[in-house]
Amino acid sequence: MTYARRAWIVLQKDLLIERRSKEQTNALLFFCLLLLFLFQFALGPDRERLTAALPGLLWLGFILAGLLGLGRSFLAERENDCWEGLRLTPGDKSAIYLGKLAGNCVLMAAVEVVLVVLFGVFYDVDLWTPAAPLALVLALGTLGLASVGTLFAAMTSQARARELLFPVLLLPVQVPVLLATVSATQALLLGQPLADVAHWLKLLAGADCVYVTIGVLTFEFVLEG
Amino acid sequence: MPANWGYVIAAYGIAAVALFGYWRHLARRARALTARPRAAVPQRTTPRTTS
Amino acid sequence: MITRVLGWLAALGLLAGLAAGFGYAPPEAVQGNVQRIMYLHVPSILTAYLAFGLVLIGSIAYLATRRPRWDRLASASAELGVLFTAVTIVSGSIWGKPTWGTWWTWDARLTSTAILLLVYVGYLMLRGLVDDREARGRYAAVVGILATVNIPIVHFSVKWWRALHQPSTILGPEPSPIDPAIGLALFVNWLAFTLLFAYFLSRRIEIARLEES
Repeated sequence: MTYARRAWIVLQKDLLIERRSKEQTNALLFFCLLLLFLFQFALGPDRERLTAALPGLLWLGFILAGLLGLGRSFLAERENDCWEGLRLTPGDKSAIYLGKLAGNCVLMAAVEVVLVVLFGVFYDVDLWTPAAPLALVLALGTLGLASVGTLFAAMTSQARARELLFPVLLLPVQVPVLLATVSATQALLLGQPLADVAHWLKLLAGADCVYVTIGVLTFEFVLEG
Repeated sequence: MPANWGYVIAAYGIAAVALFGYWRHLARRARALTARPRAAVPQRTTPRTTS
Repeated sequence: MITRVLGWLAALGLLAGLAAGFGYAPPEAVQGNVQRIMYLHVPSILTAYLAFGLVLIGSIAYLATRRPRWDRLASASAELGVLFTAVTIVSGSIWGKPTWGTWWTWDARLTSTAILLLVYVGYLMLRGLVDDREARGRYAAVVGILATVNIPIVHFSVKWWRALHQPSTILGPEPSPIDPAIGLALFVNWLAFTLLFAYFLSRRIEIARLEES
């Protein structure tokens, strides 16, 4: 079996489980809706304040949803004792990492699309005009969040107090991704062209490359033993 | 330019407390480990073993 | 034995550092006596960088060789790195109050140092929450590698983030011709802190070895 095929099988398996149970998607979407309400209550009805804080709120929403979603990425294996099965898979273990990462990206992308649409509707912001560059920022940011998140989730699934440990471990490492995406989103929502945020996109792309490389190289050490 | 000795003393004082406290912490742990025979050192419990 | 010698050397070094910082070096021309916090602040952050460098080395070597001694090196270094980073931040904050008029500002260097502290506190928490010794070493090594590689990314992101809001004028350039006496006092203190670090590291590794046996 080729490397790509093994990664594909892991992705397919996760998507199938999710499609059958819909556990995570439903809960996460509901969670996003709740976040929207909470942000509104926390900031009050002042529209200007809301629009000023919008990029930060948007990414705060993604990150909170990501913490919940990503943190669970190896729970199915753990609860059903399939961890052993993953470990015994022949060949390069990083294929499993890439498959899991792809699954997490799909999940995050679904949540993000819904959250963005809800933001646009509830807070009456024009997200349509900068949609294409915004999608690029979203994609790069999501990859950064998910690549480290997937790696850390594999570890914390084997630790005590993992619900607490996962965010404590992930959030400080993700500060660059948060800063870059929020700054880029802010500039794009203000109508600035994509060239103005090129340095942020480069930083994000570089960070993504570094994170994915480290994930691929070190995942076998997380899984073994 | 005011002398600001208070700030200097505070900075050095806090650093001294932190470093000295860490040194004492290390010394106490080392003593606890060497004083007891090794067999008596309680094994850490493992609520969940990774399998 | 070596540990004990290191300990005495570190104690002597710290005394010499105090003497150099308070007796030998003159008060700085612009800031006056409060600048003497620098003899604590700068050696402390240099020691912390040394510690985090050792975390990276220990982590890579542990994954490559699986010798527990490398894991002990990484874990002891991380603990000391957190200690010295905390000393740096607190002393810097106290230095900042009289010179900048504020305890804390979201300046690029301050922010990235604070993030550094948080990342390694997370590293230590992970170590505390994984019970299996072997797995703990592997997981910690992965986090240790990622944390160190992440440092330049954090640095640039925070720098650009601040550049959007205000030019970082607060940490202006040091007065360029540093008084040689100040330079020497700084050097003595740096040496003393490095000795202190070596002493702590040696004791901490010994304790980890005793705990594991």
